[in-house]
Amino acid sequence: MSAFAGLLAQTPASGYAWAYLDEESKREVRRALLKAVCIPGYQVPFASREMPVARGWGSGGLQVTLSIIEPADTLKVIDQGSDESMNARALRDLIVRTTGVATTTDAREASIIQTRHRIPEDPLHEGQIIVFQVPIADPLRIVDARSSVTRRLHAERDYAPLWLYLYEDVATKGAPSFTHSYPVQVEGGYVMAPTPIPRHDIPRLCEAPFLALYGAGREATVYAVPPYTKVTPLEFDDRPFTVERFPEPCALCGASWTYLQEEADVDPPRYVCSDVAYCRRRRSG
Amino acid sequence: MTPVLALHDVTVRYPAGNYGCREISFDVFPGEVLGIVGESGSGKSTVLACANLDLVPTEGSVEILGRDVSRTRGAERRKLRAQALGIVYQTPQQGLDLAVTAGGNIAERMFGAGHRSYRVVRERARSLHAAMELPCDRFDVAVRTFSGGMRQRVQLAKALATSPPLLLLDEPTSGLDVSVQAKTLDLIRRIQRDHGLAMVIVSHDLAVIRMLADRVIVMREGRIVERGLTDQILGDPQHPYSQLLVASQLT
Repeated sequence: MSAFAGLLAQTPASGYAWAYLDEESKREVRRALLKAVCIPGYQVPFASREMPVARGWGSGGLQVTLSIIEPADTLKVIDQGSDESMNARALRDLIVRTTGVATTTDAREASIIQTRHRIPEDPLHEGQIIVFQVPIADPLRIVDARSSVTRRLHAERDYAPLWLYLYEDVATKGAPSFTHSYPVQVEGGYVMAPTPIPRHDIPRLCEAPFLALYGAGREATVYAVPPYTKVTPLEFDDRPFTVERFPEPCALCGASWTYLQEEADVDPPRYVCSDVAYCRRRRSG
Repeated sequence: MTPVLALHDVTVRYPAGNYGCREISFDVFPGEVLGIVGESGSGKSTVLACANLDLVPTEGSVEILGRDVSRTRGAERRKLRAQALGIVYQTPQQGLDLAVTAGGNIAERMFGAGHRSYRVVRERARSLHAAMELPCDRFDVAVRTFSGGMRQRVQLAKALATSPPLLLLDEPTSGLDVSVQAKTLDLIRRIQRDHGLAMVIVSHDLAVIRMLADRVIVMREGRIVERGLTDQILGDPQHPYSQLLVASQLT
């Protein structure tokens, strides 16, 4: 009790519980997360709360982060690879004001990284946790919108409809049409939505040393990939999965191995690293 | 010889207390075609649903290749269907996804059976597509744009994609006009002979049964009232109901 009161005293935002959610709510989310870690790739329902951000704006990832965060943690929040976008700033601000934890932009120093649409370019290490904000938790949604159907398909590991989806893409468009959210299979079992990360980041999930937690606020599910777990994209034996290629290296730092995004509002248009902090550190040496 | 399909005293009783079918027994041997005739409501489709493992019999058992599979569910049933069973429904939307290409509909069954090579699946689907006399340039086109007769042939190609020993046909030509019906029946007969398939064909149309079936069972009010060789049943029916059925054919 006294430790808890001590924490409250450090909290800059008064009138709120430490880490915003009350302790019982956090326990409930953590219980769901434990189950998710035990059954990699399986979507575990949880009692998604109303949050002070709209559903679809990271409310799932936020609940996960707030439920696992501890006073000694160092936090990094990114949106499309940037620490400074409006969405990343707002979420980080909420977490910091209700916990007082330290923050960083350096992915190597963060103990928790909450992210939308990217995995940082820096190689992450054991002990780190990456929390993904999930817009669509069920990879089978694109083949059938009824959760009664997709639950049965998952239970039977019947992914023929997704293979058919890939077949139709290749037959009519020449290649799989997933630019992001490329469906992956976890340890040969459940197929999982990796969230809208680019294909560039998919191989980096496989056998990764970090713990990946996924929170979907609107769909009220969490799922997870424990460290050193095999994560493989769905691919035909004779049509290997490919990552994005870019016509030129980063215009700012010259990296040719990172995920780039096109800046169309400069003349001439150029490609720069999507991971802003990584790019900036390379330039400053 | 082990029958491909055997029903032993299959009874389906619905929760309301009414019967779908009662004490149905028959065998279908490799390469043999069994016809099931009867008026609508006689239990033909119930029997076929049991054979397709959609319905669990209240009593009795369904054996496929000598194994009792009547209570098989879930992943095991899916695997069994992929290996042993093909089905063609009266309405194509039951068996096909109309938004998906012809090739894709055929391929889906192969993915269900575990195929993971794009080239192998595509070549097999293309050769079945051609064997069903479907136009080559419609292979990568959504089935929605296909005529009724073409849709039935896509269903046939899909059913055959994993080379199952048993094909179930539920009124396969009832929605088609007479000339297309004749062509489709020709195709079914040719497939059956080429592949030595065992078939169960359900129809209320005795002309279809006469053309395809080796043996016939006549059903009425959920029971088998007469059984025998096709020529014998259609030429010299013994049971009053069979006589009525044969006599009421339009000529």
